[in-house]
Amino acid sequence: MSTTTAPASATVADAGYGSARRRDPVLIGLWISLVLVAVVWIAPFVFIVFTSLKTTGDVMTTGAFTPPATVHYQNYENAWARGDFSTTFTNSVIITFIKVPLGLFISAMAAYALARMRIIWGKLILLIILFGTMIPFQVMLAPIFTVVNSFGLIDTYPGIILPYLAFGVPYQVFILHGFFSVIPRELSEAARIDGASDITIFRRIFLPASIPVLAALLILDFVNTWNEFAMALVILQDAGMWTLPLGLMSFQGQFSNDYGQLNAAIVMTVLPATIVYLIFQRYFVSGLMSGAVKG
Amino acid sequence: MASVEIENVRKSFGTVGVIHGVSVHIDDGEFVILVGPSGCGKSTLLRMIAGLESIGSGLIRIGDRVVNQLEPKDRDIAMVFQNYALYPQMTVAQNMGFALELKGVKKAEIDAKVNEAAEILGLTSLLKRLPKQLSGGQRQRVAMGRAIVRDPQVFLFDEPLSNLDAKLRVAMRAEIKSLQKRLGTTTIYVTHDQIEAMTMADKIVVLKDGVIEQVGSPLELYDRPANVFVAGFIGSPSMNMLSGTIENDGGARLVLGSGASIPIAKDGGVKPGDKVVFGIRPEHIELDPDNGIEARIEVVEPTGAETHVLAKIGDADVTCVLRERITVREGETIPLAFARGHGHFFAPETGARLAD
Repeated sequence: MSTTTAPASATVADAGYGSARRRDPVLIGLWISLVLVAVVWIAPFVFIVFTSLKTTGDVMTTGAFTPPATVHYQNYENAWARGDFSTTFTNSVIITFIKVPLGLFISAMAAYALARMRIIWGKLILLIILFGTMIPFQVMLAPIFTVVNSFGLIDTYPGIILPYLAFGVPYQVFILHGFFSVIPRELSEAARIDGASDITIFRRIFLPASIPVLAALLILDFVNTWNEFAMALVILQDAGMWTLPLGLMSFQGQFSNDYGQLNAAIVMTVLPATIVYLIFQRYFVSGLMSGAVKG
Repeated sequence: MASVEIENVRKSFGTVGVIHGVSVHIDDGEFVILVGPSGCGKSTLLRMIAGLESIGSGLIRIGDRVVNQLEPKDRDIAMVFQNYALYPQMTVAQNMGFALELKGVKKAEIDAKVNEAAEILGLTSLLKRLPKQLSGGQRQRVAMGRAIVRDPQVFLFDEPLSNLDAKLRVAMRAEIKSLQKRLGTTTIYVTHDQIEAMTMADKIVVLKDGVIEQVGSPLELYDRPANVFVAGFIGSPSMNMLSGTIENDGGARLVLGSGASIPIAKDGGVKPGDKVVFGIRPEHIELDPDNGIEARIEVVEPTGAETHVLAKIGDADVTCVLRERITVREGETIPLAFARGHGHFFAPETGARLAD
C-alpha cells in the first residue's frame, strides 16, 4: 500500500511544479511594461514627497531621489502658514463638499427619469444633456465669466459651484443612464405593484443598486473638482475665495526657490484627493465596469 | 378574492395590433392559464390586467370595479415575474414585507404576515438572507411569498417557472397548484408550456396572434379541440394531422394524397367525398398486425415508459406513442392502426373542427 502511494503523490507534485513553471511570456511582458509605467508615474511623487521633507540645504546637496537624512516636517507648517492654506483649504472643502454630492444627486435623479419614466421628448432631452459632454469647458470660459458676472456671482461660492454642476452633470447622467437602463424592468414594475411611487423606486431600489457606480462617480468628481484650476482662476479673483490649486499657483510664484516648502504645499494640495481615491479605488473600477458592461 | 371580467379588450403598439378583442370571464377562485406561442399576446394581456400596460379599448373588471384607469397598486393584485424581480439589496423578509411597509402597516403586523407566508412556503430559515444567496427555486418561492403576504384579490403569474430546471419545474408546478387550492385566490397564469397549462389549470385560454382560439377545461381542449391550432398546440407529442378524402369502401377510410388508404371511424360531421384534415393523437395509434397498414419507421425514441416512433404512411409523417416495449429499427416497417372513435375532423380551408 505504502509503496504505491508514494510514487503517486510524487507524480502529483511534479505535475504541480511543471504547471507553475509554464508562464505565459505575453503575460510576463505585460507585467514588466506595467511595472515600468508605474515607476514612471510614481517617480515624481517620490521626488515630491522626499523633497517636501528635506531642508533647503539637503535639497541642494542630495540627489532628487535620495531619502531625507532627517525628516523636516517644518516645511509643512511653514507652507501652511505662509501660503494661507487654511483659507484655500476651507474654500476647496466647501466647494467640493457641496458640489460633488449635489451634482451626483441631480444626475442620478435626471438619469432615472430619462431611463425609467415616460417623458415627452425624453430622448431629445437626453441628447441635449449628452451634448454637454462634447463641449470642452475651456472653450466656454469667457461666456461663463460673462454669465456669472451678469448675475453678480463673481467671487462667490454659487458662482463657481453652478458652472461646476453644469459641466459635471452631463457625463454623470450619461453613465448613470446606461446603468439604470439595464436594471431589469420587472424590478420597478414589481415595486409599482407593491405600491411604490417613482421617488420610492428611485430611493429604495435604484440608488442602493447603483452604489458602486455612484462611488466611482463620486471619486472621479471629487478628484476633478478638488484639482480644478482654469474655471476657478476665471471666476474666483479675490484671494480670500481661492481654492487650493489657485493658492498653490500663487505660492509657487512667491516661494519658487524654497523647494522644500513648495513641495510640501503640493503634497498638501493633492493629498485629500489621493486619499479619497485610494480608499474608493476598488469601487471606482468595479463601478465603471458595471456601468459599461452590465446586462 | 374576486372574479375577473375581460370584455372585448384590444391593444396596439403603434400600428401593430397585438390583442384583437379578447373577452374572458374568470370565476372567483378559479385558476386560469393563458397559453399560446411566443408573441400571441398572453403576457401583454396579463400586464394589462396588472396595470403595467394601458388598455387600448374594452373593459377589465376585478370584482365589481372597472380597473382600466387604476394604478397597479390600487388594483389589489399581486404579480410573480419570470425573473423573480426580487429587490437585490433587501433580505427575504424585507422583500416579502415591502408592500405592507409602503402601505404603512405596523412592523409587528408585517412580521406576523411575513412569518405566516414563510411558513407556508418553507422559507422560515431563509428570511434573513439576500436574494443572491438563494437558489432559483427558493427565489421563486420568495416571489410567491411576496404575493401571498399582500393577500390580494388576484394572483398574476408571468411564466414563473421558465427559469427553473426541468425537475424543479415539475416540483414547483405541484407546489403552486396546491398553494392556489389552499388559498383559494383567483389566479391568472401565463405560460407557453402546454404541459404546465394542462396540469395546473381549471380553465385554459389558448391565444394565437392576439385572438382567443378556445377556452375550456384542460380535458375539453384535449378531447375536443376547436381547430387545428389548438389540436396541435395542446398535447405532447402533437396531434398528427393528415390531409385526405373520406371514402366509403367497405367501411370508412381516409385516402391520403399519396393514395395510402387508412381505415377510420367516420364521424357524423363528414360524409364520403369530403376533403378533411384528420387529426389523431400519437397515443391513439396502435400496433395492429392483423388490420394495420404498413408504416416505414424514420426515428425511434425510447423514453423508458413508452416509445415514440416517427413513421411514414405513404408520404405523410405520423408520430405514435407505443406503451409496449418493441424492438424496431429505423427503416423497418410496422403495422399501424388508428384507434376507433379517437379521430378529429377539421375543415382544410379554415382549420375549424367539423361538427360531430
